[in-house]
Amino acid sequence: MADKISRRDLLKMIGISAAAAGVAAAPLVKVFARPAGQDAVTLRFQENADDYAAVVAAFNELYPNVTIEFVNVTGVDHAEIASKILAQLAAGTPVNIGYAATEATQLYAGEGLAMPLTERALADADEMAEYFADVSPTLVEGMMYEGDLYQLPRDFNAAHIYFNKSLLEEAGFEVPGEEWTKDDFLAIAQATTGIGPDSDSFGFGWTNRLWGSWTPWFFVNDTNLLTEERAPGGEAIWSTFYADQPLAEGRGGGWRWPAPQANNPAMVEALEFVVGLTNDGLTPQVEIGGGDRLQGFFTSNKLAMTIAGGFWAGSLNNAGMEPGSFDVQYWPLWKSQRHQFGTGGAWILNGGGGEDQAWEFVKFNSRTEVMLMIPWMANASTTPVRRSMNTAEYWGQTGMENWHVFYDALDQRPDTAPIPAPVFSIEMTNIYTRFTSLATSGEMTPQAALDGMQAELEALYARNA
Amino acid sequence: MVSKTAAFSEPPRRNFIGRWLAADTLSGIKRQRAILGYLFLLPTIIGLVVFIVGPMIGSLALSFYKWNVFRAPEFIGFDNFERLFSDARILVGYRNTAILVVMTVTLLEVLAFTLAMLVNRIANRFLSTFFRTAYFLPVLLSGAATAVTLGYLFHYDFGVINYYLGFLGIEKIKWLTSSDVVLIAISLTTVWRNLGFTFIIYLGGIANLPTEVLEAAEVDGASGLRRIVRIVLPLLSPTILFATVTDIIKMLQFFDEPFIMTRGGPGDASRTVVMMMYESGFGNLEFGYASAIALSLFIVILGVTGVQFYLSKKWVFYR
Repeated sequence: MADKISRRDLLKMIGISAAAAGVAAAPLVKVFARPAGQDAVTLRFQENADDYAAVVAAFNELYPNVTIEFVNVTGVDHAEIASKILAQLAAGTPVNIGYAATEATQLYAGEGLAMPLTERALADADEMAEYFADVSPTLVEGMMYEGDLYQLPRDFNAAHIYFNKSLLEEAGFEVPGEEWTKDDFLAIAQATTGIGPDSDSFGFGWTNRLWGSWTPWFFVNDTNLLTEERAPGGEAIWSTFYADQPLAEGRGGGWRWPAPQANNPAMVEALEFVVGLTNDGLTPQVEIGGGDRLQGFFTSNKLAMTIAGGFWAGSLNNAGMEPGSFDVQYWPLWKSQRHQFGTGGAWILNGGGGEDQAWEFVKFNSRTEVMLMIPWMANASTTPVRRSMNTAEYWGQTGMENWHVFYDALDQRPDTAPIPAPVFSIEMTNIYTRFTSLATSGEMTPQAALDGMQAELEALYARNA
Repeated sequence: MVSKTAAFSEPPRRNFIGRWLAADTLSGIKRQRAILGYLFLLPTIIGLVVFIVGPMIGSLALSFYKWNVFRAPEFIGFDNFERLFSDARILVGYRNTAILVVMTVTLLEVLAFTLAMLVNRIANRFLSTFFRTAYFLPVLLSGAATAVTLGYLFHYDFGVINYYLGFLGIEKIKWLTSSDVVLIAISLTTVWRNLGFTFIIYLGGIANLPTEVLEAAEVDGASGLRRIVRIVLPLLSPTILFATVTDIIKMLQFFDEPFIMTRGGPGDASRTVVMMMYESGFGNLEFGYASAIALSLFIVILGVTGVQFYLSKKWVFYR
């Protein structure tokens, strides 16, 4: 009989135990459905405690039985945030109430993570009517998937051109009018390159990602990375909340992007145009990532024009730009003036428990006065989805004269559409930015890069068929 | 006379396990010591099992499944491994990783050894402390912060590095947007951040070299370079082995710098194996495939380290 436990035996036991635990756990990992909440409910909420402390405090006055735990998730873009949300899901600690932008809307909805909200919105129609009357149907449709509404939009950003007025004035230009064209854009870009305090400015700057990027250029060239169609359904939302609104006519149950078309001639033409800007020295080297670096260049008078939405206005003020030293305009007219946007809003975890309380919280967050409790919403660091909040008073703090184009991109440009973001949008975005970088760095021609992009997108669609 | 001898109480009755544990025999004492030893080890063992061994085995199991987080895992046998061996992009990732490892570890070892030799010769205590601290400070910075900051410095149009290269008459270099040089920029960033750690290892090794051997060589007329090659390096060989093994293992897991500075671009020019693993898992939601990549990297690290130890028999000298 063995008198002692040998090291080898101990290691064997550890190995066997861990193997058993690992093998047993792997197939069982899933979103655990918890029993329906009793009186006291705790909800994990994907937001920053500093930003939402006042909102939660106000909500708790109405619902003292609901405890909101903050789960702060940050990332350079919405795709990265979605990746982190999925990491939490994989770890078995998902959030009950998340915030997703267009990049992840269909991913969460299509995979059953997010709960459909159509029935709840219709059940509370009297209460919700004021909200929907104030929100463009374009945004609501952007939060739908296969006939159901999955999120209540909170804020959005359509891609516009920002102007550094100091560089514009130095070049003898004024902020152009609404009907300006691609040729006008080119003339301004050329005139504003090589000027500024150090004579090293660029006319235009952009970064390589899905929203912004060169995506607006192919939108105004009347094409898209993926083909578009509308899913059927959604009639209950349109007939209940948008019965008399012309902008709601022809809407469906959300967007579908059935096939890739990355290398169609209009796409190639658009990419050749932006690569040409770099080759002509009008645009700095294009890098992948967020807009932080662009913001630094813009505020230090190195960039005359760049891509951004309403979110940039407050940020530029915070970065030290004087109100009135910058302005904004629609994207220039090419074959069309179709704008792209991304919107975002809260979603509720499907089967996570506490859905009723979560819905109350989401509804509470859709009120104007509650939205204004969020500091960055109050200081014009995004575009509120409520039309009534987009006022001269709201945007006045930024000093911009053309602030109305933010919401008018929805109301006056009815063909405005969301960035293409199917269920597999994260992988699609990786393919998109990877081949775009090969074209902008000059290592592939735009045609070759888009041929490669098309081939990989076709393979992606085949895998997800 | 009545005996007043105190009555000894009977030892408490124990069950089998109690008797086995408390047996007052030679083998029992050995057993008790062994158990005590394992009890001291227990917290570490639990930590290892929960945070390292368990996830490793879980990941191994997952590599035989198709799992996207949302749905129950589906057993697919060796499909993930078949795909791994036919995935041309993985080869690119391994090639990039290998180039980065060779460049970075070579630079790290040469620079760290050279700086350690120089700092070791500084007699002034204040200056010596200053340089030790200065070289070590970047180690304390986060990889993300370093990558963001150096990303600005390497910017083609507005970066400080190209600005100063211009003074020397050198044309601007596309540090982060050219496939030819992007790995150099990433390697330099990594070297800057990690140099201090390797430097401290070498400094410790050099400080412990036997002075009598070095003095004897000096008396015998050996030049500085000869002393380094013939005496310092052989005596320092265990330190060199430790530094290179730890650095290579660390660098095979390249992630922070390329992810933040270039996102693997342009194209796949700076995409590493670990980035591909991350993107497969958290981007493409192919956690089974990501686990297969992780397993392949584990085997590569194990193999490389094994080869290093095997070859070390020929060049490492233990005093």
